Amino acid sequence: MSPATTASDATSTEGTPTMTIPRIHLMMCFGTGCLSSGAEKVRDALLDELGAHDMADEVSIIETGCNGFCAGGPIVVVYPGGVFYNHVKPEDAAEIVAEHIVKGRPVERLMYRHPTSKAIIPLYQDIPFFARQDLRVLRNKGRIAAESIEEYIARDGYQAFAKALTEMTPQGIIDEIKTAGLRGRGGAGFPTGLKWEFCHNAEGDKKYILCNADEGDPGAFMDRSVLEADPHAVIEGMLIGARAIGADEGYVYCRAEYPLALERLESAMADCRAYGLLGEGIFDTDFSFDLHIARGSGAFVCGEETALMTSIEGHRGEPRPRPPFPAHKGLWGKPSVLNNVETLATVAQIIRNGSEWFRSVGTERSPGTKIFALSGAVNNVGLVEVPLGIPLGDIIYEIGGGIPNGKQYKAAQLGGPSGGAIPKEHLNVAVDFESLQEVGAIMGSGGLIVMDEDTCMVDMARFFLDFIQDESCGKCPPCRVGTKRMLEIVTRICEGQGEEGDIERLVSLGHTIQQTALCGLGQTAPNPVLSMIRHFREEWEQHIHEKHCEAGVCANMFIARCSNACPASVNVPGFVSLVGEQRFDEALRVHRDRNPLASICARVCFHPCESKCQRAGLDSPVAIRHVKRFMVEQESAPVLPEIQADPANAARKVAVVGGGPAGLSCAFFLARLGYKPTVFEAEEKAGGMLVQAIPAYRLPRPELEREIKMIEDMGATIACGKALGRDFTLQSLKDEGYEAVFLGVGAPKGSTIGIPGEDGPGVYDGLSFLKEYNLTGSAPMGKKVAVIGGGNAAIDAARTALRLGAEEVRILYRRTRAQMPAWAEEVDAADLEGIQILTLVAPQEIVRDGQGAVTGVRCREMVLGDYDKSGRRRPVSGHDPDFVVEADTVIAAIGQWLDAEPLMDGVKVGLGRKGYFAADRTSGRTSEPWVFAGGDAVTGPASVVEAIGAGEKAAVSIDEYLTGANHAFWRRSVDIGTHFDPDADPVEYDRAAVEELPLEQRVCTFDEVECGWEAEVALAEARRCLRCDYGKYCS
Amino acid sequence: MSGPPNEGHNEGHHPADADQRTIDLKESDMGEEVRQCACCCEEASEEELLERLDAVIDEYQDKPGALIPVLQMAQGIYGYLPEATLKHIATRLRKPYSEVAGVVGFYSFFSTVPRGDNVIRVCLGTACYVRGGKAVLDAIKSRLGIDVGETTEDRVFSLEVARCFGACGLAPAMSIGDEVYKRVRPSRVPEILAKYRETAPVEEGALNVAG
Amino acid sequence: MSPADGPQKIKSLADLQAIKTRTQAETALREDGYHVRLTVHMGTCGIASGSRAVLAAALEELNESGRTDVRVTTSGCIGACEHEPEMTVEVLDEEPVLYGDLDAETTRQVFQEHVLGGKLVPKLVVSLGEGVRP
Repeated sequence: MSPATTASDATSTEGTPTMTIPRIHLMMCFGTGCLSSGAEKVRDALLDELGAHDMADEVSIIETGCNGFCAGGPIVVVYPGGVFYNHVKPEDAAEIVAEHIVKGRPVERLMYRHPTSKAIIPLYQDIPFFARQDLRVLRNKGRIAAESIEEYIARDGYQAFAKALTEMTPQGIIDEIKTAGLRGRGGAGFPTGLKWEFCHNAEGDKKYILCNADEGDPGAFMDRSVLEADPHAVIEGMLIGARAIGADEGYVYCRAEYPLALERLESAMADCRAYGLLGEGIFDTDFSFDLHIARGSGAFVCGEETALMTSIEGHRGEPRPRPPFPAHKGLWGKPSVLNNVETLATVAQIIRNGSEWFRSVGTERSPGTKIFALSGAVNNVGLVEVPLGIPLGDIIYEIGGGIPNGKQYKAAQLGGPSGGAIPKEHLNVAVDFESLQEVGAIMGSGGLIVMDEDTCMVDMARFFLDFIQDESCGKCPPCRVGTKRMLEIVTRICEGQGEEGDIERLVSLGHTIQQTALCGLGQTAPNPVLSMIRHFREEWEQHIHEKHCEAGVCANMFIARCSNACPASVNVPGFVSLVGEQRFDEALRVHRDRNPLASICARVCFHPCESKCQRAGLDSPVAIRHVKRFMVEQESAPVLPEIQADPANAARKVAVVGGGPAGLSCAFFLARLGYKPTVFEAEEKAGGMLVQAIPAYRLPRPELEREIKMIEDMGATIACGKALGRDFTLQSLKDEGYEAVFLGVGAPKGSTIGIPGEDGPGVYDGLSFLKEYNLTGSAPMGKKVAVIGGGNAAIDAARTALRLGAEEVRILYRRTRAQMPAWAEEVDAADLEGIQILTLVAPQEIVRDGQGAVTGVRCREMVLGDYDKSGRRRPVSGHDPDFVVEADTVIAAIGQWLDAEPLMDGVKVGLGRKGYFAADRTSGRTSEPWVFAGGDAVTGPASVVEAIGAGEKAAVSIDEYLTGANHAFWRRSVDIGTHFDPDADPVEYDRAAVEELPLEQRVCTFDEVECGWEAEVALAEARRCLRCDYGKYCS
Repeated sequence: MSGPPNEGHNEGHHPADADQRTIDLKESDMGEEVRQCACCCEEASEEELLERLDAVIDEYQDKPGALIPVLQMAQGIYGYLPEATLKHIATRLRKPYSEVAGVVGFYSFFSTVPRGDNVIRVCLGTACYVRGGKAVLDAIKSRLGIDVGETTEDRVFSLEVARCFGACGLAPAMSIGDEVYKRVRPSRVPEILAKYRETAPVEEGALNVAG
Repeated sequence: MSPADGPQKIKSLADLQAIKTRTQAETALREDGYHVRLTVHMGTCGIASGSRAVLAAALEELNESGRTDVRVTTSGCIGACEHEPEMTVEVLDEEPVLYGDLDAETTRQVFQEHVLGGKLVPKLVVSLGEGVRP
């Protein structure tokens, strides 16, 4: 029957007035993402087309909220049918209306394609979020009235029990469960059939079957949901189990925190009694069974099987040593079986559908499905049921929809306080019992908590230890005392009091507890700590050695999260609040105390501070970089910072090699300590990447020159045109009497692509292209430009090409847009300026004509494969034939590197990862005591502010090397003395917008794109700061 | 709740029944809490309370594992477990007082001190912790000037920490009495508390969002 | 009521089948019976998020509308905790629609516009189609 008939039926049965009910609904996502990709224009075009076909009354277009599928926008879903169109353009409207609406033929080319298989998925509910789940245990989830036994029966409920009781022997039931390979869903994965068999074979006139609904894992709610939504499934499983082992009595041990689950279970049990499914002589056989509820009283240890039984008996819920095992001596000394809620809810379906059906999903050793309570930092929080063996990354990214707020995945905790954390390197791990153990986690009962970059793993370790310490029953010393000792150590580390050897102490204590604790709780208690040390050791070391918590959680280690996130440690609340009070000179002084390049960073910093701003929890982060921009605009000539003149230092010769941000910063801080360093710059202009690579529309050159001059004014000498390895060597510096050298030479070489046709005219590397234009003011440019790469250099090259008159500029990137290393705002700007960004395409060949001129780039479409070490899905070749992107000029900006060998000339400075200099993060020390290094030359291409931070650290340790003491007077924390009323409510307005140059002006000039703020806007924005630093300065 | 199952559902199209159904559901959802609370909502005399307790003990004393259910009910009757009550239970169940006290001390559900009228429970399960439950707890502590396990002087609030309500989808969550608050932000704390007390004393100034 | 007054005891597979058939017939949407079913999802998350108010509002609306072909029922959690409180609207022969982030007011809106008016309330839709059918 068509929906139109429904409409007339509705009127006839209720006598309500006739109304026109649209025959077809077009659901259009009008979320921010789809709006920005042009949903409104698509809607207008559809309306026009519908009008033209005179169908406006029959079809209604409905604007929906965000459907979370922003990457595919604009989106149109056609109902009935639920055909899902994505990337719809206004010009597609005619086809949709003419073909689909009028003729009923869906338009295939617009349908959603699965990213890997490329299969067309027309139905909304077939999108991975829905389709990747396999609802078996949860088949009644949200579908039946939980308190209605009839509705359960209507969905084939109790048929399995009837079959088990009337058609199967107890051994037959056990064999079926054994064949199915069902393993306990409570955590350890012990085979259920085997457990039943032990108890079945045990001697005894009285046996019990018990259901563990204690669900103590903080972060799991599967059992609660099952009991609330489908309590009869559990009761039916217990009945079958009782029949198999020969029990006539059972208990459900359920935690008191679940009043609704208890209520529904009680109600279900009452119904069973009324229908004769519990009680004497069930189904007119001699089988009798009754069920009780034991209510927990808040003790995690009671989830352990022997403790649970002790608790039902009315005692303190302390575990008993095993053996004897419960299958022989359990509750009140009688043979007993304890199964978890999910296990029992699975049993009836195996009996009804057969073991083959059960084994049809999952893996050989871990068959079937598993329910996970997906929560934490993930977009789709909820209860999901998936086949075992599914990659962890698929649960998090496909079903869970990834990490919210643009943050990075850090780890997932499986198995709660007994489990472990799985880092991004292991997103491919198959979620089955064995594979999870290999990476240091356990399946657990199904709590799956996703943690993003804002989670500190040391703090999480403390959280779990605190939990265990709280919940330890105290019976055995390894657990009681051992975890207390571990907690003390971890707490100390979190508070910034960590000591050398703490990590080793934790590991050794952990292993002892694992081997000696009495029960499962104690034996697994150290797991979270051990796994977090195993996968995040560097983070632990940072806490201990650097007293630094990168996630910004361990609050004892910093004054505010923004400052903590700043690689140069700028006192952000300090300068922002000073700007708010219009004390600009002081604000600049506070800024330059840690970061000399204030004006440069006001333009190009990627502002890690803003991504950690607490204000984001209220509305949006403070626009710190723009407040800074306003601040530097108030400065006519740079005010020199505090310099501690020191004739002895001034007499020493210190060389800084490289005039980029790392070198300039190092020279600045050396100058503040009274040194007169010489900066050697290979090019004719100082500034490094700032002057060579970053285009003027982002960083006007006078800003750069102003701050370089400031450093010269402080006593540094900048010698341009002097290249290490060409004009001088490390040895020659030493010979000339230089006592210390800082290597800030960057990563100045552009990588080649390594594909045919690359060599020859018309192909440039991104860095050389940018450098040529930025230093000489001109560069060769064609009409159709293809830029290869997804980093900032690629975006800079593309936007520069556009400004140099290219008519078509395309960026070719082999991964997805979200995976681009370039700052998102730069990518957006390129997009806005009309640069076409083609993602998931990998260049295969530069195509040339007979004369050798470039005519295009042959590309292959890529699809996303499994997860790589960086936690991103790897691009792999798709199945479509290659295609050619037309181009007469190709710019390859795919990477940079450092050719370090020629620079060393006999002095052996140790190299590290990818041929960069190996230097200590905190001091810049290299293998040569008098040589220090920092910036891109150590890290590979990174940010300006990271280079500035590295320069400061090296300056401090150069001074320490030369004088034997740390004189970094700027590192002390000083109260700025700005006014703050902690009782006042935060100002209510949201983040101020930033004006940009109109598009038509942008694309043909190199004028700065971002405009500054009026004073009132800037001052108001500064006052949005929540002053997290309040009360955190030492007096 | 042993009425004919599904009654409300099948009769749902009769408006009068529909209303009835609403009321049923409200009560049933609160479950045990309601039944326990119903005992202490009106001021009952000591004797009446004892009578109720004895009735419970009568029902349970011959059943195996009676102690814990009896303690749970007793706490429902008195709101907490006074020493005299524990002694009474020990005598009547013929158990040593030390055993009763040992069990009470073991389970976090039992309290031997009277609690405030409104028990605030901040969930610090993993999901809530990851999503900022601790900042919420800190905000409440500073707002009320009490620590976990303490009661405000005016007995309006007690503060407790819960290890997961199983409402991880609502993280960070907290509850006051039967009311669960979802996705709480520290900035919402004063407003939430104000519902229960006109003027919550401000001990350490306003909330520090920094946490 | 005491078990003695209760339903007949189930003694066999045939008894189960009989209940199954009867219940399916009673609860199915049919032309001569229910046209619309509203399922309010009432797990702990749902109730904590305010699904009681949603249920009450749905019942009040039903009462006021005088419709006798609309059935209001409840069920447990549907798993999409992010959008609690949730309610599924099923109209005979149409795709079921899962509404989310509801309160009393928006529930009334769904009742008025979707149940009575036959139009979706797009801004409240979480998901549509067979996958959400209760």
